[in-house]
Amino acid sequence: MVSRFETKTTHGAPLRQNLLWDSKILKVKYLVVFVFFALSILSCSHNEKRIMVWHSLRPIEREILREQLKEFGKQHPEWEFGELFYAPETARTNFIISALGGSGPALLWGASDNIGPLVELQVIQPIEPHVNQAYLDSFLTDPIEANTWFQDHLYQIADRVGNHLCLVYNKDMVPEPPETMNELIEMGVALTKDTNGDGKPDRYALAWNYTEPFFAIPFIGGFGGWIMDAESRPTLDTDAVVDAAQLIYDLANTHRIIPRECDYEIANALFKDGYSAMIINGPWSWGTYIENNIDIGITRIPKIDETDLWPSPMISPLGYSLNVNVRGERLRVAVALMQFLTSPEVELIFTRATASIPSRKEAFRSSIVKDNELLQQSVYQLMVGKTMPVVTELRWIWDAMRPSYQAIFTGEKTPEQAAESMQRLALKLIEENRE
Amino acid sequence: MAVGIGERRDNRLAYVYTMPALMIMALVIVYPFIYNIILSLSNMNLTHFRDWRLIGPGNFWTVLTDTTMNLKLLGIEVPDFWYFFVKTILWTVINVFFHVTIGVFLAIILNKDLKGKTFFRTLLILPWAVPQYITALTWRGMFNSEYGAISIILDRFLGLQVPWLTTEWGAFTACLITNIWLGFPFMMIIALGGLQSIPDELYEAADIDGASWYQKLKNITIPLLKPVMIPAITLGIIWTFNNFNVVWLVSNGGEPSDKTHILVSWVYKVGFTYFRTGYAAAFSMIIFAILLVFSWNFIKRTQATQAVY
Repeated sequence: MVSRFETKTTHGAPLRQNLLWDSKILKVKYLVVFVFFALSILSCSHNEKRIMVWHSLRPIEREILREQLKEFGKQHPEWEFGELFYAPETARTNFIISALGGSGPALLWGASDNIGPLVELQVIQPIEPHVNQAYLDSFLTDPIEANTWFQDHLYQIADRVGNHLCLVYNKDMVPEPPETMNELIEMGVALTKDTNGDGKPDRYALAWNYTEPFFAIPFIGGFGGWIMDAESRPTLDTDAVVDAAQLIYDLANTHRIIPRECDYEIANALFKDGYSAMIINGPWSWGTYIENNIDIGITRIPKIDETDLWPSPMISPLGYSLNVNVRGERLRVAVALMQFLTSPEVELIFTRATASIPSRKEAFRSSIVKDNELLQQSVYQLMVGKTMPVVTELRWIWDAMRPSYQAIFTGEKTPEQAAESMQRLALKLIEENRE
Repeated sequence: MAVGIGERRDNRLAYVYTMPALMIMALVIVYPFIYNIILSLSNMNLTHFRDWRLIGPGNFWTVLTDTTMNLKLLGIEVPDFWYFFVKTILWTVINVFFHVTIGVFLAIILNKDLKGKTFFRTLLILPWAVPQYITALTWRGMFNSEYGAISIILDRFLGLQVPWLTTEWGAFTACLITNIWLGFPFMMIIALGGLQSIPDELYEAADIDGASWYQKLKNITIPLLKPVMIPAITLGIIWTFNNFNVVWLVSNGGEPSDKTHILVSWVYKVGFTYFRTGYAAAFSMIIFAILLVFSWNFIKRTQATQAVY
């Protein structure tokens, strides 16, 4: 190999001068490399003048949020505001990962059941030091506490309440909704139709994502049970859980008025396309149905005849939490944005578009809410709901419920076996994580 | 060979140029790897995320013996790890077998003088060109037992009603079919490249000797394809072993009952849904060890990294 020194000396230049020149070039090159590298690092670094909101809002709501961020941006032209959609589970996971890494969005929007884990992981910060009492007093406390306090601190400011499952029906197919479960079954047999005579229904009376535990919870309440006690211990191995699971199993396999295989997307598609007369779904979906020109009605999930109890869906506030990494001026602007997004005016913009129940007393009492039949029916269901716990134990209870509960529908477990094994798993997960 | 001082100084600028890449490599590969080893020896979980401490190698033992999910193979309860390990082996072997068989078969056909060869080649690459998650979700829809295209066709023409997504092995088969569909184009392209590099003279000589189609395949095509296919198969095995997307999306995160998992999808669920971080870190170290031992042996035995011609 011919070295650079050899090449230069063959050209006849003095070696010392060459070395000096070479050294200068080398220094310039080092500088260029350093500047390039530093710029690369800087370009990747965090933009301190940007406030991001991560959320799980539906497309119609996303558009409203974008407009409101623009509106708020006019008051703070030196700041940049943005939003990013993630599915609820992904939003939570990504937020945790980024906040633990010292970054992440300033605000996270979601249901209150995330609060427990987020606080335990120390990725969100208390909000009450940054807002005044009059502002806090303006939020609903009845029929549901809108703002979420946990371990004596406020961790979420709600912009809406509810997030609860209701029975949604297509008025063209169901002029009068069923009041009781027996009525539903009776009506369901008539509504479920095999039009092409292939032995399989082409239209179902009801569809919903019943293999997901969250969507089965109302029925546990309908049989007088709940998933945890006051000390956050799981209460899954109970008659109420067994009876609720048995009822859902029977709707699919004995009465055959719901599809035997149905996830959220399938249920939604069936209802939107007129292949299902009713659906059990939450407020996030109603806007889409209205947009699809379906004449919908909303009512309570039918009463359980044996207990004379209404099924009790989980109810929770939805709103904004503050990233623990937001400090200084950024914190001040983020709190101001949170207050803007939870103002009665902005809440009512969302209400008009998606029939969400606003969290501010002033907005809740407005004629927009009072004159809206859908909203009134939604509130009617809300009255029999149960507030979703925010403790971390709920997380492990969900995780413990899913495998055994789904095993009922694959025929691997009876409801009794499933209830027993989900209780065992829940206790194990809680014990493992708490030790 | 010893490197002289002058030469070392000569290379200094090269080191400087490569420094950013080396630093980034260290940041994104070496650091997380070492951190993962530390986590695997810790009690980090949802309640000990900030205040975690080292607890020794207990997590590794727990991974190998934990029976949290009460999983059964041939009626016998086995630890979660071994259940998913068996499924991963099945998943990898079946997938790679079909990827290679279908890929090489189609490559041999496409290597012939065929009318519309370009069209067919493009058509057959399509599954590979479509983003994986779109393909996976489309197949999931097609496997729905009442409304899915596959179920409707099977029912109408064969009278078969397969509960694809609601049974343990039905969902696993659905994932397999989807991944076979996604994976064969890669092997086809590699095999096609290999076939085109085989000199025609060898086949002409074989023809003169009166060799049959099978003899030519066995004695010319396969041996000369081997140096190209072995690295591709090695990669295919590693990719398939670690193929999270298809299993996760087709089975909707492991449904039914968290049984449709391979090791990597299960470790993701344990790590990022259940937040059993220390356990998940130990689990991923075991996966890493399995793949390292496999790749090392496979490459050594097949001499895949040696020169071909």
